[in-house]
This record gives sequence, structure tokens and C-alpha cells, in this order.
Amino acid sequence: MTELLHEISVPPTRVSGRRWVFLRRVVATPGGSAGLAVLLLLVGSALFADLVAPYSPIKMGVGKRFLPPSLAFPMGTDEFGRDVFSRILFGSRLTLMIGAIAVGISMSAGLVIGLVAAYRGGWIEKVLMRTTDMLLSFTETLIALACVAVLGPSLANAMIAVGIAGIPLYARTCHSAALVERSKPYFEASVAAGAGHCRLIVLHLLPNILPTMIVVATLGISSAILAAAALSFLGLGAQPPQPEWGAMLSGARDYLNRGPWLMAVPGLAIAVTVLGFNLLGDAVRTALDPREAGE
Amino acid sequence: MWFFILGRLAMAFLTILATTVAVTLLIHLVPGDPVQIMYAQSQGTTPEQIEAIRHGLGLDQPIYVQYASYLWRLAHGDLGYTIRGHQPVLDVILQRLPNTLALAAAAMVVAIAIGLPVGFMAAWRRGSWLDTALMAGAIAGISIPGFWLGLLLLLVFAVDLGWFPVSGTGPANLVLPAVTLGLSNAAVIARMTRSSMIDTMRQDFVRTAEAKGLPKATILRRHVLRAGLVPIVTMIGLQFAFMMGGAIVVENIFSWNGVGRMAIEAIFQRDYPVIQGFILAFATVVVAVSLIVDVIYALVDPRIRRS
Amino acid sequence: MIAFKGLIRAVAVAGAISLSVAGAEAKGIVWARYGDIDTLDPHRATSTLSLQVWSLIYDTLLATDKDGKPVPNLAESWTSNPAGTEYTFKLHSGVKCADGSSLDANDVKYTVDRALDAANPSVTKASWGPISKVDVIDPTTVKFTLDKPFVALVPFLADSFSSIICKSNKGVEGFGTTSAVGSGPWKLVSWTKGDKIVLARNPDYQNFGKLADNKGAPYMDGLVISVVPEPQARLAALKTGEVDIAEPPLDDVEALKSSGDLKITVAENTGQNVFWEFAVHRPPFDDARARQAVGYATDAADAINLVYGDLSLPEACPVSRGVFGNDQEFCLKYRTNYDPEKAKALLKELGYGPDKPLETSMLVWTGGNRQKLAEVFQAQLAEVGIKADIEMMDIGTMNARVRQENETPTGKGSMDMMTWSWYDPDILYALWHSPGAYRGFTSPELDKMLDETRVLTEPEARKAKVQEVFKYLLENGIHIPLYTPGWEWVFAERPTVEGFHVAPFVYPVFNDVKITDKKS
Repeated sequence: MTELLHEISVPPTRVSGRRWVFLRRVVATPGGSAGLAVLLLLVGSALFADLVAPYSPIKMGVGKRFLPPSLAFPMGTDEFGRDVFSRILFGSRLTLMIGAIAVGISMSAGLVIGLVAAYRGGWIEKVLMRTTDMLLSFTETLIALACVAVLGPSLANAMIAVGIAGIPLYARTCHSAALVERSKPYFEASVAAGAGHCRLIVLHLLPNILPTMIVVATLGISSAILAAAALSFLGLGAQPPQPEWGAMLSGARDYLNRGPWLMAVPGLAIAVTVLGFNLLGDAVRTALDPREAGE
Repeated sequence: MWFFILGRLAMAFLTILATTVAVTLLIHLVPGDPVQIMYAQSQGTTPEQIEAIRHGLGLDQPIYVQYASYLWRLAHGDLGYTIRGHQPVLDVILQRLPNTLALAAAAMVVAIAIGLPVGFMAAWRRGSWLDTALMAGAIAGISIPGFWLGLLLLLVFAVDLGWFPVSGTGPANLVLPAVTLGLSNAAVIARMTRSSMIDTMRQDFVRTAEAKGLPKATILRRHVLRAGLVPIVTMIGLQFAFMMGGAIVVENIFSWNGVGRMAIEAIFQRDYPVIQGFILAFATVVVAVSLIVDVIYALVDPRIRRS
Repeated sequence: MIAFKGLIRAVAVAGAISLSVAGAEAKGIVWARYGDIDTLDPHRATSTLSLQVWSLIYDTLLATDKDGKPVPNLAESWTSNPAGTEYTFKLHSGVKCADGSSLDANDVKYTVDRALDAANPSVTKASWGPISKVDVIDPTTVKFTLDKPFVALVPFLADSFSSIICKSNKGVEGFGTTSAVGSGPWKLVSWTKGDKIVLARNPDYQNFGKLADNKGAPYMDGLVISVVPEPQARLAALKTGEVDIAEPPLDDVEALKSSGDLKITVAENTGQNVFWEFAVHRPPFDDARARQAVGYATDAADAINLVYGDLSLPEACPVSRGVFGNDQEFCLKYRTNYDPEKAKALLKELGYGPDKPLETSMLVWTGGNRQKLAEVFQAQLAEVGIKADIEMMDIGTMNARVRQENETPTGKGSMDMMTWSWYDPDILYALWHSPGAYRGFTSPELDKMLDETRVLTEPEARKAKVQEVFKYLLENGIHIPLYTPGWEWVFAERPTVEGFHVAPFVYPVFNDVKITDKKS
């Protein structure tokens, strides 16, 4: 959820050259290794869904309707006799895609806005950052809803909406990180040495704020996945027969009596995935934050 | 002091003004002809009527004229009419907004009642198994989708156990949605509280007190609690906006008759005047709440006024 | 976690207390539906949800018997001239509106004039037909004059679209939202949009022709119509007794029937017709063969069996059972009945094949498990090589989209699962006579046939013409009927509810209802 991102503030740290140490520090915490395990599981099932899934995710009548979980159907069958396990596996592709695309949109737009604001300063910075703050206060939910209202319901539009809704947060984080870098002596030295705008931004600002942005993105994926699942749950995202987890959960509402597992399984899948990214994000942040790490 | 409040008021006003621009533009960003989309009831809408409707909505005017007339009508409390049923949008929203505010407020109570003590406990016993367990619970709480939690609660407490009514909008109906929304946010508040308390404990005056050999409980009560509470209160104030956002989803699970459910219906029905009104109402509430929090904060902590 | 349990217990206690307080208020009938009315003004909406409520508050000149045929109601009799251009209605005297004013010919004239008002016509203006004027002959006699014959006027006057609005509503601010005065069995107490409508029995009500044994006011004191979107929530509310009557989750009907916990009433003669139609002004569906291929590829019987069990039936005609002209045997002869091989052959003729599927979007409106049905149809179409992308939307949006698709000359194919409910085959005139409700298929020969269905006053001759229209629509794959009924037609009642029934075209009737464990 958005709330998690709201509270984070990442002290900018340079990690270059210490990448392996950093990774080891992430894995050393139980949270970090659990998060990494979930991520690997998710990527694995997305990559190998075709090989692992016993059935097609959209083929109806592969089993009887409403079969409870069994050896043949580990997660049971749904109202059309589709294999829920196969749907969950293929759904992981959608989940990863949603997370990546939405965060990609937020991150790229946020970087541009944040960097431009920090680098140019003056009234441009004021206008951009005031607008960002304004949007930030409206919460991602409202912005995403407004976007979907304009674009109309579909999975692609839901991803775009969630991506747009995330921009203010990334812009704000990027801006503050860039401000810190800009005030450092090495940067001022480069300016004095007459480096061009592009060179300054691409070679100096960008690499140094990236670690911060990576933390935001790791945590941001979880919030994007949750937001998109919520939209699909409300019927504003993925459309049938896409095995999107939020949409599956929404469909299961009609069968609380006949097939309670239909509600349990996709909900659990979302929760575990989001938990994984949250744990990973927390671990990455701790690893990057010398203050916390020193405790 | 007055200068600060005036400044914040001006900012709030600007924010709402910007929102009015956004909602006026919204209808123009819709692909296709919004009037066709809105009014193509299968019978009786002739091209002449469509034109009349377009004129009635002022959509045949230049955009700045439309905006000016929107503001003018807004100043007179006129948010337009719903497409389904032709009712004043303002009435429709005012009828439901109190329900959403009640839900958000009740959820806030739940969130604070759970989040604050948990956060304190974790900070106090920092590094212990209790801290680990509580924070594991908190991160799980953040990760569980609110709509799933809501369904589970609905299934167990309303459908199976029959402890709560499952339909309608009354005090008894408020419990489950408030708990659903409150629990997710309790986790957030617990985490914020913990880190705020830990920050405070690191500060010099606490270290001094420790050095003086005061008992830990006394330090906590006398110094940490008091100093740590101020930022927590602010954060909780900001949290209200997220409560409102979360309410949109939760209302739809529990059929709570608030503006969130209204908004989702309106999106499905392409009832743009309602969507516009909803965004504006939501923004106004958020801005008003953050204004109040800022002012209270400034009253409590004079340092803020200088920054 | 300890805190969590404690909290749950605390709120449970608090909830139980407030619940018992709420329980003490429960009186009268509580009927839960998935959605709310649009308005109480019968001239401003077309949804079934609205119509059902209008039928409780207002009365109509005519009513329908259990087979859907028009019978006298407020009008004790009616006559028409041989040319079919003048209708004279004789009204019952002594009828009172809920506000105490008397209802007579002036109120009828007020209603019709209001519906046809050029400045602000009713959204169903066209269904009144070519009425040129309404004359009040005396307080109990009213005469409609038409420009040309219009056979569908009589059944229209039995439907709640033609609800008689008492003249005392004129100029009342808030008519349709906070106020609505009619002469129906119930009167409006309050309407909280999105939540509930509260009605009280109208003690002055007299039942002249409605389908109820009770000839006077309803037995119960009140009727609360509440909005509960979630089917499972409605079911739970039925079980706990919060609600007396509601549409159950369709998938649970079987289990409910066998357990006997709740009574199930399935509406008959709903007039509801669910059908395929297509964007015919661009490829691929400008070619009749592509439309027929969809028809042959669709196994409606299998799909509804999977989704609705025996709650719905396949329908072969463009107007459903219970509507004038319907004849399953006749229609089956011309309909593109399920035959996947024929579908594949047609697609092959058109140049489609396994590696070149016919691509189309499939528009479906939300609710009533239609999204499930659409998924089954999607799978069936995929079997013959038609790739359909489902798009779910609200019915209002879909009406607009379908028209927009018909007006767009290029792009991906588009078909939709349209639904219509009407009391007369005149609906086909609205749908398929040029320019057509959705600007879809039209042709001069079809126009000519449809024109005749409106003016042929002799029933057999009209029936023959109507069936000619069926044949044309079916053979050309213009209107491919799928099933009936399709929405809001199943009701579950608590065992304590007696006397509830549903009149044709899904009008629930509460006049006879008695609830044994509630004091009236």
C-alpha cells in the first residue's frame, strides 16, 4: 500500500564497488532472504509457467466445477472447471508485468521531474514540487481512479493509472536525493570545471541517486501490485479470462459457499507476493542505511 | 502565527482551485464524444437533443468559458446534475460523504488503538523477540490486501457467525469495514510509532536522562513519550487521506453507502458529473484535514512556524 | 495478536448491542436488490430497477394478466375506432392519489402531455407512439388521438413506463427524488440514494386489475427496498432475517432449493431477450456469413446450463416467450443453431483459419453472472477460431458503445450481448427500423415489414408479419437470440413470507404478502 512508501526516507548512500557486501547484508537478515525467496519463486513461476502448469489457464472443463484442492488439482477448480493452480502460475506473469510496467512509468517520469526540478531550481522547481506535493496529498488511490475514469477499465489502463498515480512519490524522493548530491563538493567542482548539463545530470546526479531510487522501487512494486489488484478487484482492471489475481478474487465473491478456496488462494498469492517485496525493500533499505545497520 | 495560518489557507485554496481545473479537463480527456457516451439511452435521444444537452453542459463553449462557468456554478453550490436520474450532484454527495467520513474516523480509532500501543511496545523492547514478532505482524498487516481481509471478515463474522449485519448503513454495519480499514493502517501506524520513538530515544536529552540513571519506564513516560508524540500525531493526520482512499475499496466490499461506492458506480456508468464532484469533494476533505493538522501542529510546536 | 483478539471481542459486543437496537425497528417487508433506482420520475429512466419501484408507487391505465396480456385496471374499459387512430378510456371513479387528491382524466392527460413535452420529453417518448393529442371528455373519460394506427399502445399502457403521475406533482420541487405521488399500493416515505427506499402502505389503494388476490391496500404496513450489491451479502441477510426477499447468488439456488431454507420464485414471462448483435457497417460483421458463423459457434443451451442451471432457457425468437408472436418451433427453423462445423466452414470461406482467427471485441454488461456466461461463449467461439475480447461495462455505457461501434467505419470487429425486455414485438421496430436504436443493421425491406407490424390491427395478420420479421432477422444473423430470462428474475424468500409473486415482465407484487413472524 501507499502508506508504506509514505513513511520511508532513504539516506543517500553510494554502493558502487561494494555490491556483493551489500547483497550479503540483504540476505543475512531473515526478512531479506525470505523476500528474495518470494521474488525468485515469483520469477520462476512466471518464466516456467508453460512447463510447470498442468493445464491451460483459460481452458474450461479440465476438471469438474468447484473441485476442492486435491492431488490432481492442488488448488481446486473454479466455476468453469478451470485449474486454479495453473491460473495462479500464469497470473504471476501478469503480476510481475503489472509491477514492472507501473513502477517503470512512475520511476521514469519521477526521475525526469525530480532531476529537472533539482537541477534547474527557481520557479520551475517551485511549480513542479508544489504540484507534486499536492498530488501526493490526494493519495494514489484517488489519482488512479481518476485515470481509470478517463481511460476506461482494462488491465493496460490499470497499469498506466497505477503508474501515473505513483509519479509524485518518485519525483519527490528523486528531488530530495538530487538536492543532497547537488550540494556536495564533488558536484560543485564539476560545475566549476565547466561540465555540460547532460554530463552533470547523467554522469553525476543519476548514478548517485539510483540506490535510493532502487529502494523506493522495490517497495513501490509491492504497492503497485496491490493497487492494480484492487482496481481489478473493483472490476476496473483485468478483464476475463485473464488469470489476474485481483480479478480472480473478485470473481470468487460469488462462491463464498461453494468454493471458499477460490477466495483464499488468490488472496494469499497477492499477500505473499506483496509481503515478499516489502521484506526485500525493508532489507535493502536497512543494508543501505548505515544508521540502522549499526544498531 | 497568523501569517503561517494565512499562508496555509492560501495554499489550500490554490490546491482546490487546481483540482477544479483538473476536473474540468477530465471530461475533455475522455476518448470519444462524452455527450454521446453519457446520454445515448437507446430511446428518444435525437441528434437535436444531443446538441441541446451539449449546450446545456456548456461543452460547445471554449474551454476557458466552460471553466469560468464551472467556477461560477460551483460558487453557487451547483455541481451539475447526475446523468442517471438527473439529480443535483451536490445533494447526492452530501448525502453520502458523512458515511465515508464516519468510516474513515472509526477506522482511524481502530488503527490508533492498535497501532500506537504496538509501536510503543516494539520500541520499548527494541531488539527483543517481542519487537521482532510485533514488527513481523506489522509488515504482514501492510501486505495483506484490504479487500481480501474484508472478504475474510465478512465471511467469518457476518456470514458464518452472524454477529454483524451484512447489509445497510448503520452503526452496527460500521464495525467490520472500520476494522478492515483500521487493521491495515494500524500496521502503518505501529511502524511509524516505533521508528519515531527510537529516533527520540537516541536524542541527547534521553541519553542524558539515561546517564543520570533514571529508571527506563520513567524516561519513557516523562521524556520519550512526550517528545515522540508530536511527529506521530502529524503522521496520523496525514494518514487520514489514506484512510479516505482505502475507504473507496472497503465501501464496495461491505456495501457501505459512502462516496467511494458512489464513485465506482459512477465510473461504470460514465456519470462524469458525479466523478467530477467526487474528486472535488475528496480533495476538499483531504486539504481541509491537512490544514487542520498543520495548524494544530503549529500551535503545539512553535518551531514549525519559522520553517 | 492479543490486542487483536481483545479488539474483536470488544467490537463484537458493541456490534451485538447496536444490532439488537436495529432489530427492534424492523417492521414490514424488507426487499434487497443489487442496485438502486435512477429516479422516481417515470419519464427519466429505463432500468428494470427503476420500473419495479414505479410499479409500486404509481398505477397504470391497464395491467397485465399472468400471460402478459393487457387487461383493464385504472381504466375499466377502452374502445378504439376502426381505423385504430382513436382510443377512448373509461376510468374508475373514486380513485385517490396518495396525497388524498382524486385521480381522474386530468391526471392521465397531465401524464401524457408531460411525457410528450417537446421541451423535455420522456426518455421513452417514442413508445407512446404517434399520439397527437389527449382530450378530457369528462372526469372519467379520456381520449387519445393518434396520427396513424399504433397497435403497441395498448400493451404499453399496461407497463410502468406509462405510470399515471398525479397532477398534484406538477411544479413540485424534488419530484422524482424526494417526492413522488401516485395511486399505487405503496406511497413514498423516503429515498436515500444508494441505500434504501422506504414505502408505506397506501390505505386508499384499490386494486382493479393488478395480479393480486387482495383487492384493497397491501396487508403489510411498510416495504423497505434496500440496496445490497453483493449476492453473498444478500444471502446472508436472508438467512439472518435482516431481509425477507432478495435475489440470491445464482450458484447457490440449487443448494437452497434442496435444503428448503428459503423459498425460490422464478419469474415467468419476463419478456427478457438476450441476443448477439454486431457492428454491421465494417468488416468482418458487414458480411452475413461472419455473423452466422458466430451463431453456429454459440451453444447457448450448454452455456446457460453451466452458469444458470435450469433457471433460464434457450430462446429461439427475437422476442421472448410470453410476448406476442413468439413461436419456438417457427424460430428454430431459421435460427443459426449450434453447429461448429458450419461455423468453421463459413469462416474458411471468409478466409479465416487456424493461424488467422477472426478477431472481435465482445461487449457485455455487468451483473447477473453475465460475465461468467461471456467467458463460456468466449471459449466456445475460440473453438472455431474466433478470438473475442470480453469488455464488461454498465448497461448505459454499453448502449452508447454499441451505437458508437456502429458509427465507426473502421477497426476491429465488434459484437455485443445485448439485452432487452419489452411487452410487445414493437421493440423490434425500435431496434431495427431505420435509423435503428443503435444505428445498426437496417434495410428498406425490413423497414417495410416493421412498418406493417405497427398498423395491422387484426391479430393473425400482425402475427404473420411479425414472424416474417423474425425470419429475416434470424436468417441474416442480425439478431441472434440466446436465452431468456436474463436478469433479476430469481427471488428467494424467507419461509415466513407468504403471498409473494412476480407479475409478467418482472414486476414483483407485494399486495398479498403476509409475514408470519412480524406484526403488521
